[in-house]
Amino acid sequence: MFLNAWSLALTLTSIAGIVLGGIACRTAIRVLRHWNPASDSELQIRLEGEIWLSSTLVAYGLGFQIVSLILFVLAADEFCKVIVGAMCATGSLLANSYGMPALLVKLVGVFFYGFWIVLHQLDIRSESYPLVRTKYLYLLLLYPLMAADVTLQTLYIAGLKPDIITSCCAVVFAAATGGGTNLLTLGSENLQLLLYYLTMVLLLGLGGLLLWRWNRWLQALYAVGWFWFFGLALVVITNVISSYIYAMPYHHCPFCLLKPEYHYIGFAIYGTLIGGAFLGSSAGLVEPCKRRAGLAEVVASYQKRAVQISLILLLLFAALTSYHYLLYMASGGEV
Amino acid sequence: MNSALEKHLNILDYALSALWRHRLKNGGIVVVFAAVIFLVASFQLVTTALTETAGKVLAVTPEITIQRMSAGRQEAIPLAYAEKLHDIFGIRAVVPRVWGYYFDEVRGANYTVLGVSADMPQADELSRAVVGGVMGSGGQGKVVVGRAVSQALQLQPGQLFSLFRPNLSLKAMTVAGIFRPETDLLTADLIAMPLVEARDLFLIPASKATDLCVYISNPAEIGTIAEKISKLLPDTRVLTRPQIQKTYQVVFGWRSGFASVCLLAALAAFAILAWDKASGLSPEERREIAILKILGWETADVLAMRFWEGGLVAGLAFLLGCTLAYLHVVFFGASLFRPVLVGWSVLHPALSLAPHVTLKEVLLLLAFTVVPYLAVTVVPAWRAASVPAESALSG
Amino acid sequence: MLIELDSVSKIYNQGQPNEVRALSEVSLAIPPQTMVCLKGPSGSGKSTLLSIIGCIFAPTSGRATIAGKALARLPDRFLTVHRRATIGFIFQRFNILPALSVVDNITLPLLPLGISPKVRRERAVILMDQLAIRHREHFPAGQVSGGELQRVAIARALVNDPPIILADEPTAHLDSRLSSEFMQIMADLKHAGKTIVITSHDPLVTEHPAIDRVVGVKDGRIDVP
Ligand SMILES: Nc1ncnc2c1ncn2[C@@H]1O[C@H](COP(=O)(O)OP(=O)(O)O)[C@@H](O)[C@H]1O
Ligand SMILES: [Mg+2]
Repeated sequence: MFLNAWSLALTLTSIAGIVLGGIACRTAIRVLRHWNPASDSELQIRLEGEIWLSSTLVAYGLGFQIVSLILFVLAADEFCKVIVGAMCATGSLLANSYGMPALLVKLVGVFFYGFWIVLHQLDIRSESYPLVRTKYLYLLLLYPLMAADVTLQTLYIAGLKPDIITSCCAVVFAAATGGGTNLLTLGSENLQLLLYYLTMVLLLGLGGLLLWRWNRWLQALYAVGWFWFFGLALVVITNVISSYIYAMPYHHCPFCLLKPEYHYIGFAIYGTLIGGAFLGSSAGLVEPCKRRAGLAEVVASYQKRAVQISLILLLLFAALTSYHYLLYMASGGEV
Repeated sequence: MNSALEKHLNILDYALSALWRHRLKNGGIVVVFAAVIFLVASFQLVTTALTETAGKVLAVTPEITIQRMSAGRQEAIPLAYAEKLHDIFGIRAVVPRVWGYYFDEVRGANYTVLGVSADMPQADELSRAVVGGVMGSGGQGKVVVGRAVSQALQLQPGQLFSLFRPNLSLKAMTVAGIFRPETDLLTADLIAMPLVEARDLFLIPASKATDLCVYISNPAEIGTIAEKISKLLPDTRVLTRPQIQKTYQVVFGWRSGFASVCLLAALAAFAILAWDKASGLSPEERREIAILKILGWETADVLAMRFWEGGLVAGLAFLLGCTLAYLHVVFFGASLFRPVLVGWSVLHPALSLAPHVTLKEVLLLLAFTVVPYLAVTVVPAWRAASVPAESALSG
Repeated sequence: MLIELDSVSKIYNQGQPNEVRALSEVSLAIPPQTMVCLKGPSGSGKSTLLSIIGCIFAPTSGRATIAGKALARLPDRFLTVHRRATIGFIFQRFNILPALSVVDNITLPLLPLGISPKVRRERAVILMDQLAIRHREHFPAGQVSGGELQRVAIARALVNDPPIILADEPTAHLDSRLSSEFMQIMADLKHAGKTIVITSHDPLVTEHPAIDRVVGVKDGRIDVP
C-alpha cells in the first residue's frame, strides 16, 4: 500500500534519514581511518570540519526519527480505516508481522541517536576530543539500525493489504490478559499498579540519593531502574491506565491516547516517559567516559543535570498517568 | 538568564535580521515553497475530506448485498430469496432495496434512485442526513433529494414534481427534504424514497427488489456467511462490504496516488531549487561568514544560524501554504482539484468539503514538505559554515 | 609574557602539491601593554604570524602561548572560544558588513558570548561616544565616511574588552591624515593597558613614537638586522 499519503510521507522521511545517515557514515569512515590530532595536514583540518557536519546530520536524523516514530503510529491509526477488522492503530500494526518490530526499532532508534548526541556533546567539551573514535564507531553501528528501520517499515507497508482481516486491540489484549505466554501478562491490575508505583517511588528515592551523594553503583542502578520502568510503564499504560483515560473498561490501547479525542495526552505521557528514560539511563551509560582525558568534570555535571531533569519528568509523568485513575477513584468508582 | 540560551537567542536574532536583509531572495523561496505546500496541503485536505465522506458511505453500506444475475446481467431479485437465508447463523437482518439510475433526457443527467424499506437497520443514519423533512415519513410519493438534483430540477421542500416511468406514464412526487451539504459526495445526485415508491417508479413487482441487503453482527464472519449465501442461492452475485471497499479503494487510491506522484515531482523540483539556492554561496556571503567566524562565531553557531534561517523560511512557507490551502478547500471547494478527484457522477456535484484538521494532518504535511527541505539544505549549510575564519584576513 | 611564540612554524596545505611554508621556527615574546609592529614585504608571513597570535589557527609545529593558553593543535572550537575572549581584530579595509547598521557591526563579537541586547547596546554606546561616532549609530555601515568606518572597526575590536588588539595592515588604504589619527587612537589604547600588534610596512606606522618594538619579518623568519 505505497500509493497512500502516509506511506509516502514515511518513506520520504526514511529516505531523507538514510541519505543523511549515509553522509554521516562517510565522515565516520574517514575519521576512523585518517584521524590524527597531532597532524596539521589539509586532511586533518577537513576532518575537524566534518565533525560539525556529522553531528548536525545526526541531530537532524534524531529529529526525523522522532517525526517518523510519531508518523508511524499515526499512519497505523489511519490505516485501520482501510484494513478490515482493525479498529485502531494496534490492529493495523498487527496486520502483519513487521508492524510491531518496525515500531520497536524506531523507538530504539530515538534512544540511540540521542545517546550519540550526548556522546558528541561531551566529546567536544574536551580539547583533545577523546571520544572521537568511540563516537564514530558507534555512528557506523547506527547504520544497520537505520537500514533495519527502513527495511521493516517498507516490508510493513508492502504487506498491508486492505482485504486482510486482523483483530482489534480489545481482542488482542483481552486475549493476552486472559492467559497465555504474552509479555503483557503481568498478573492482576492491582499487582501491576503496585509494581508501577513502587518502582516510581524507588526511582525517586534513588535519584534524590544520587543528587545528595553521588555513587557509581547507585548511578548504574538508577539507569537500570529506568530501563525497567520504561518497559513496565508501557505495559501498565496499555493494560490499566489507558482504559481509565478512555473511560472504557475494555478499551486497552497504547496508541489512541495520541488522538485529539483525549486531548493529545499521549504526547505528554510518552514525551515525559521517553525523555525521562533517556536522561535517566544515559546518566549511567556515560560513566565510562569519565576516565577519558578532560571529561571527568564534564561528565559529572552532565550526570547531575540529567538526573535532575529525569526526576522532574518522572514526577510529571506520574501526575499525567495517575490523574484519570485518581479521578475515577475519587468519583467513587470501585476497583 | 542562562548565557547558552541567550547566545541562541542572539543567533536567532541575527538570523532574523539576515533574512530581512535578503528579503527579496528569501521572499522568493517562501513564495515558491508556499505554493508547493499549498498544492500538497490542498490535495491532502481534499483526500482527507473525501475519505471521511467515503467512510460514512461505507458505514451505511450493508455487510453483504445480494443481486440476482441472469445471462450475466442483473435482474430483479424475488423477496422469497430472503426466506432461504433464515437458517444461516449470524445474520442480523435481510432487507430488500431498490437501487437504480434514472436518466433525465431533458437535462442529460443521471440521477441515482434509492428505495429503502423502513426496517433497514441504518435508516436512521440516512434520516439524519436530511434537512427539512424526515426520510420515509409515510405520505404518498414523499422523496428526499440531493442538492444537485434539487438544483437541476429547481426543487424546494414541499414542491411537487414528476418523473417518467419506463412506460412513459408520469409519476408524481413531493420533495420531503433535501440532503445536507456535508454528504454531497454520496447524496448530490440521489433521490431517496420508500421502497414502494421506487418499485412504482421502475415498475418492479411487489414481490421483487433490485437487491437484498444482508446485515451481519460480527464483521469477522462476513466472508463465511457470503460463501454460504452464494452456495444457497447459486443464481446470485454476492457482494461483501470489504469487496466494495476495496474496489472503491483501488479507484480512489489510484487517482490520489497518481496525483501524489505529480505532487512529489513538484516537491522534488522545489528541493532542487532549494539545494541550488542554498549551495550557491556568493562572495558577499562567504565574506560575511568569514567575518563572523573570525569575530568569535563557532562553526556550530553559523550552522545554528543557518538552521534558524531555513526553519523560519520553511515555517513561514508552511503557515502560508496551509492557510491558503484551507481557504481553497473550504471556501472555494478545492476548485483546482475537482477534475482529478471527483468524477463518478455525471452531475459533478458542487461538493462542499469540510475537512477535519487535527495535529495528525499537520504532522503529515510537515513530513511531506519541511522534512525534505531541511534535509536538502543541511549539507550546503555546513559548507557555508566551514568557510575558514582566516579568509577574512586576505584582502 | 602575554604572547609567547617558541619555534613556531606554519605550513599551509600540508601534504598537498600546493604546500606553502609560510613561517619557519619563529620565536617571539611580547609583554603586556606594549605596541609591536611586524614589518616586512608582502608575502613574508606577517598575516600568518598575526593569525597565530590571534588564535585563528594553531601552528603546524612549535609552541604558542597566548594570554596564558597553549595553542598546540587545539581544535578550532577551542581556538574560537579563546579568541573571542582575548583578541580584538582590526583588518585591512576593516571588514565591516555594509548592510548592517553601525551599532550592529560593533556588537557582532558579543553575539556568540551570549550577551543580552540591552547590555550589547550599552557597551556599544560607551565606545561610540568615546570615538565620536554616536550620531552614526543607526546608519548602515556602508554609508559612513572612511574615517568613521575606521572608528567603527576600532570600536568593534574593543567591544569585548580584549587584552590584545591585532591590526593587519590597517593603514594600507588610508590617507596620511586618517593613518595618523588611527595611530593616535592606538597609542591611547596602549596607555589604557592594551597590548597591540600591528603588521605594516607604512613608515607612518613603523616610525610612530608609540611603537615599542619593530619586528622585521622576511621569508617566514624573524629578520634580525
Ligand atoms: N590560506 C593560505 N593558503 C595557502 N597559502 C597561503 C595562505 N595564506 C597565505 N599563504 C602564503 O603564505 C605566505 C605568507 O603569506 P602572508 O602571511 O599573508 O604574508 P603577508 O601578510 O606578509 O603578505 C605567502 O606566500 C602566501 O601566499
Ligand atoms: Mg598580509
